[in-house]
Order: sequence, then structure tokens, then C-alpha cells
Amino acid sequence: MSPPTQNITKGNSVEKDIVHYLKTRDKKALQLIFENYGPVLLNMILRIVKDRPMAQDTLQEVLIKIWKNGQAYKAENGSLFTWLTRVCRNAAIDKTRTKDYKLSEKSNTAVDLVNISELAAHEERTEQLYMRQMIDQLPSVQQKLIDLAYFQGYTQKEIAKFMKMPLGTVKTRIRLAIRNLRSII
Amino acid sequence: MLESYLMGELSDEEMKEVDRLAVRHPVIGQELEKIRKGILTYAEATGNRPHPDVLRAALKTLQDDQEDTQAGLSKLQDTAENRIKSFPVWYVAASVLLLVSITFNLILFRKLRENREEIRSLTTQRTLLAEQVETASLKLDDAETRIAHFTNEDNIRVRMEGSEISPRSFAHVFWNKKTNTVFISVDNLPEPPHGHQYQLWAIKPGQSPIDAGIFDYNEQIQKLKVIKGDVMAFAVTLEKEGGTPHATVEKTYVKGFL
Repeated sequence: MSPPTQNITKGNSVEKDIVHYLKTRDKKALQLIFENYGPVLLNMILRIVKDRPMAQDTLQEVLIKIWKNGQAYKAENGSLFTWLTRVCRNAAIDKTRTKDYKLSEKSNTAVDLVNISELAAHEERTEQLYMRQMIDQLPSVQQKLIDLAYFQGYTQKEIAKFMKMPLGTVKTRIRLAIRNLRSII
Repeated sequence: MLESYLMGELSDEEMKEVDRLAVRHPVIGQELEKIRKGILTYAEATGNRPHPDVLRAALKTLQDDQEDTQAGLSKLQDTAENRIKSFPVWYVAASVLLLVSITFNLILFRKLRENREEIRSLTTQRTLLAEQVETASLKLDDAETRIAHFTNEDNIRVRMEGSEISPRSFAHVFWNKKTNTVFISVDNLPEPPHGHQYQLWAIKPGQSPIDAGIFDYNEQIQKLKVIKGDVMAFAVTLEKEGGTPHATVEKTYVKGFL
């Protein structure tokens, strides 16, 4: 039932490298996690902590936790990504129980749904500009779906409600958007 | 399903199931990787990434923690070294102080003990002196009283000599002619046996001895009863404690005629 480590990480050299660095107590592990999983993990946290700055704080805490408990990761219990997801969810739930979070929740009357300009605050490099142009080829609805589902922490159910679409349509369109995304990059 | 996996929409169990499938069917794993890379590219292009400060801050926290731990360790080591280094100085200083203190305490203790003994001795002496003074004072009082009785012209003095049962005994009776009061001067009477007391009798011609009062053998001058009439002699008998109305003549210790 329990697959060996090498099978889990087969075809995913990044995950293999991260596991190796975690076991050898090399901080490169955190850098690789941040670079390769950062956006996805932040999205996981945003699903629970509906506040971007706080979600980023939580991600920072997650990285520290990963480092401290890195040796506890066992490949037979699932992939590294599944483990990272679990750490993120627990940290996010813990965050929602803090006093700071409860205070900020009160002051936030509504979640700023899409704030592209803020998200795009980082200095864009040429490569990024090029990629941006490519992505802009995607229909705006698909871009929005990707954004909400993968970067704004919304569940497909929430998106369906927000976009006034049936859940099935949302799922199909997200799949389509991802396929299109893969084809243009 | 695979899109949901990376979205974080699956439960922990569902994710593990995907992991198992990915192991069994490598194509699933490859597909997941492609989706992840697509999302990553999208994030790069749109600047939709966590701020680089997140990683920097996490690394700094870990670095600080490590430095704190090391600093804590080296501080502990320093303290230990300082303790070892400062040990001889402390040891010598403490030893000298301790010795001085012990010596001083011993001297003080000895002095204290001497003083205590002296105080005890002085207290005893004082008590003895006080007793002596009191005894002397009592003796003086008695002597004065006796002299007063002897010299009192109103007194008839009767010396009572020891009888056969106590030949060495003697005592005096002073009988005041004006007041008729009888005084006894216990000069030499043996200590009465337990539960017994001496009793003075006035003897009148043709009468049984008249009770003149009981007295303590160890008090020299004692005022007894008032005796009127024609007394010819006084005698002291040994009686049971509290006295008796009828004299036990055979226990007469001293007797004297007027």
C-alpha cells in the first residue's frame, strides 16, 4: 500500500530535490519550495485566511514550520505537496484563531475580490511582460477563473456563486483555462 | 480532479488517493507537474506570487533563532569558564573569611560561656548572701526580741530544763504580768517526729495542766495564749499535730518552775 519514496517523486525532480535538502538540513529546500510551490501554497492559505497580508505572514510561518519539521516528512504517507498542503491548512486555521485575525476580520467588511493592480505590484521584467502578453491571449473569463481559483483562494463553489455560473460549468471552464494556459507557455 | 488537487480543493484523503494514483500511473504525476508549472508561469507573468520578503523573513527568523541558540550556548560556556577562572579567588577569599569568622565566633562563644558561668556563680553567691542576710536579720530580730523579753521588767522569765527523755533540751517562757500573754523562746528542742507538735502547758496547783498553746519548734520567739491566775510552773509536751486538751505528761520535754 505504501509506495516507496522514489516512486512518489518519480518525474518530479523538484520534489525529490526538496526532500533531499530537507533531510540534509539545507535551507535551499525552503527556497525551492517558495519558488516552485509558493503561489499555490499561498492560495491554499488564502482559502482559509481571507486576508492577503495575513496569508503572507502565515506562509512565512509555514516555511519556518517546514524547516523545523522537515525531517518528520515521510514519503509513504503521501507526496511532499500533500504534506505541504496539510501544513498550510493547519497554519491557516491556527491563524484564524489569533486575536489579530479576529480584529482584522471585523474591519474587513468585504473581501477585495480581484485587485490585480496590487498583485502586480512587483516590478515586471521583460520575460514577465512577454508571459503576460501570452496569458492575455486567454479569454478574460478564463483568466479570471484561474485568478480566483489559484491565486485568490476561492473555492469552485464560491466562484460559481460569484460568477453566477453552474458549478459544473466553472469546473469545465477552469480545466479548459488550464489546458489553454499549458498550450501557450 | 487534478486541477482541484493543485487548487487545494481536495481533502487530505483525496489528495493521498491522487498521490497513490500518481505512483501507479506516472502519467498522472506528469500531468500534475504540467499543471503546476502552468500555474507557476501564470503567477510569474502576472506578478501573482507571494512577496519575496516572505522567504527572506522566514530565513532571517531561522537565522536569528540559530544565532540566539549559539549565543545562548556560548554565553553558557562563558559563564562556566568565568566560574572556573574566578574559582580560586573566590575560594581563597571565602576560606579566609570563613576562618576569620570561625575564630571570631569561637572566641565569642568561649567568652560568652565564661560570662554565663560568671553570671551563674554571681547569682548563686547573691542568693546565698541574701539568704545569709535574711537569716542574720531573722536571728537579729529574734535576738532583739529575746533581749526585749529578757529585759522587759513586766515579764516573768521561766527557764525550762530538759527532762529525762531529752536532758539537753531547754526553753524559756516569758509571761507578761500586765497582759498575761505567754511567749515561748524555743532555745533547744529536738525536731518533733512527723505528725507531732510541741505544746506548752501552764501548771496550777491542784489542777490539770492548762493548755497555753501549740508552737513550731523552729521559730524562736512565739506569742502563745493568755494565761491568768496562780501558775506555778510551765512545761512542754510532745503531742499529736494540732495539740490536745489533756497533756501527755510522760512526753514532757522541758519543765520550769516560777
